[in-house]
Amino acid sequence: MLDMIIIDGLSFALPLFIMAIGGIFSEKSGVTNLALEGFQGFGAFIGALVVVSLSGVFGAASRVPYYAGFVFAVIGGGMFSLLHALLCIKFKADQVISGVVMNILALALTSFLTKSLNTSLFGNNANKFVLGASERITIPGLSEIPVVGAVFKEVYPFEIIIVLVAVVMWYVLYKTAYGMRLRACGDNPHSADAAGINVYRVRTLAVFISGCLSGIAGMSFAYSITANFSPDIYLGYGYLSIAALIFGNWSILPALFACLIFGFARSGGAAVINQLGLPSAYNDLVRPLPYVLTLLLLVFFSKHNRSPKALGQVYDKGRR
Amino acid sequence: MRKFTLSCLAIVISLLFGALILWLMGKDPVAAYMNLLQGSGLMEKARYSGRQNMFTDFMSFLDAMTPMIFASLSVALAMRGGFFNIGVSGQMLAAGITAHMLAGVIPSRVLVVLAGLLAGAIVGALIGWLKSRFNVNEVVTSIMLNSIIMYVITFYINVFYINPVSRQSKAVVDSARLTLSGFRWENLKMDIALAFPLAIIAALLLHWFLERTTYGYEIKAVGLSPKAAYYAGMNVNRTALFTMTLSGALAGLAGVSYFCGYLATIQPGVVPSMGFDAIAVSLLGGNNPIGCVFASFLITIISKGTVYMSSRQHIEPEIASLIAAFILTFAACSAVLDRRKK
Repeated sequence: MLDMIIIDGLSFALPLFIMAIGGIFSEKSGVTNLALEGFQGFGAFIGALVVVSLSGVFGAASRVPYYAGFVFAVIGGGMFSLLHALLCIKFKADQVISGVVMNILALALTSFLTKSLNTSLFGNNANKFVLGASERITIPGLSEIPVVGAVFKEVYPFEIIIVLVAVVMWYVLYKTAYGMRLRACGDNPHSADAAGINVYRVRTLAVFISGCLSGIAGMSFAYSITANFSPDIYLGYGYLSIAALIFGNWSILPALFACLIFGFARSGGAAVINQLGLPSAYNDLVRPLPYVLTLLLLVFFSKHNRSPKALGQVYDKGRR
Repeated sequence: MRKFTLSCLAIVISLLFGALILWLMGKDPVAAYMNLLQGSGLMEKARYSGRQNMFTDFMSFLDAMTPMIFASLSVALAMRGGFFNIGVSGQMLAAGITAHMLAGVIPSRVLVVLAGLLAGAIVGALIGWLKSRFNVNEVVTSIMLNSIIMYVITFYINVFYINPVSRQSKAVVDSARLTLSGFRWENLKMDIALAFPLAIIAALLLHWFLERTTYGYEIKAVGLSPKAAYYAGMNVNRTALFTMTLSGALAGLAGVSYFCGYLATIQPGVVPSMGFDAIAVSLLGGNNPIGCVFASFLITIISKGTVYMSSRQHIEPEIASLIAAFILTFAACSAVLDRRKK
């Protein structure tokens, strides 16, 4: 049972984490990003579309569609995020409103497109692209260690991708010139500008990165939780990852910690219900656990939080 | 006036965008848009089934529009007070289930309205309190509460309150429902929204409240600049709490007129999308109570008329929410144009 909690918890926490990293990039550069929810959904939509289209070309055993799906989910999420960047940075829209608008637009657009593409291309009238569940890998040797071994047991391939990408992103944010410039844009865009940094470009790229990373998360959810792409993918996980990054004080490692808490709260709750032999309706009682936890944690930590100083402010060169 | 022009511009651009999509799909946009009006009882349909005509269609249109007015008023008030209330859906659900439970014991319309008002206000107040006391971002709180409320209600309905045939909650009794369903008049059969006059009164009252009273002035002052309001001697925290309580109460009214009026049941496992659409409506109405009524009218034409349109033109009904989303996107942009010109 402990194994199950760790396995399920990780497969939920890691996609959340990669999305939270995206959020950190965007918010550290000074662009509030409530649109993660929409990015992950749109990314998953593009990815799923590619998988469904390719699965006819390649055989059922081929792994090409699986990885192509992730690549295109990244592209799709990134492309869609440019719209948020356009509204927030170019059109100077209110960033909170723009974020929520993106989420509504993503939901409407993908539900409409899923249905009409299914009708016109694949000749059925379903509102989803069926993907099937992802394969799982158990790493021999390491997985036989008691308790900790569960980390290496029945791992989804995307979890490995996420860990690798996360390490790279951590390096980019804290160890490269771009990362330093990005953080400068979020704290004091005017002096960043005076130092010769193109604030608009840095911010646009940061939002784009957040879209790309959310795409990975969306595709992971589509492959693990729902096993298809349907509008059901908009379950509020994007918002959950925002809560994680706020709780993590806009830095990557504490955000990982928050995501792990959410993941284990979720899988632990389900395991308890399962153990007690309660009917599945009782699952709805433990499902809100991560959300309740978020609220409580935020109550305790919001006072001491230090958000990026220029977060949510439209950067206007003329106002220096 | 400027705002009005910009809102109209957003609508026109979105409708043109929608028309383009319809045209690309090989449909006739003009006919499709006329179907929207026909489905809403604003234009004569070619054929009607028994006991129905344009007037009965219009009455059900008003029935659908009533909760939307309340919901958009809730968003508008919060927005004026500097809050982004994205939790209208959760507040609606909380109000809906409270009213349902109460109506099961004492079937009374007055009580249903009061219960909705109170339940919504409590949830709203919680969000306002967390913000003013602990500085928790209201957007995150609202969204978390939406999910928490939805899951708890889903559990409650599935375990105690399910109609095993429809997989929905048990229907509210007719004597407590805010919509007179199947009302006979002459040879017609129609649904009458009893809460509709209440919605119009609420809009007028809210307008008066914001423009003509001290409390309303304080809400707007805090919304524009909490610091300035603080230095002017206003109690910012109390005002913020009051704003969210009132906003929640309005959302509660939306909840009862939706779940105990337009619908008679609550579907478990679903967060009503109306709470999010209301943001579009409120933005479109320039966060002005009277503007909200007109914007609700427009959005309801799209959402209500879609059923008829999709059956006539064989288009996926999802196109309606797509056009609404376009309106929202352009409305967000138009707010920008407005700021730029100043």
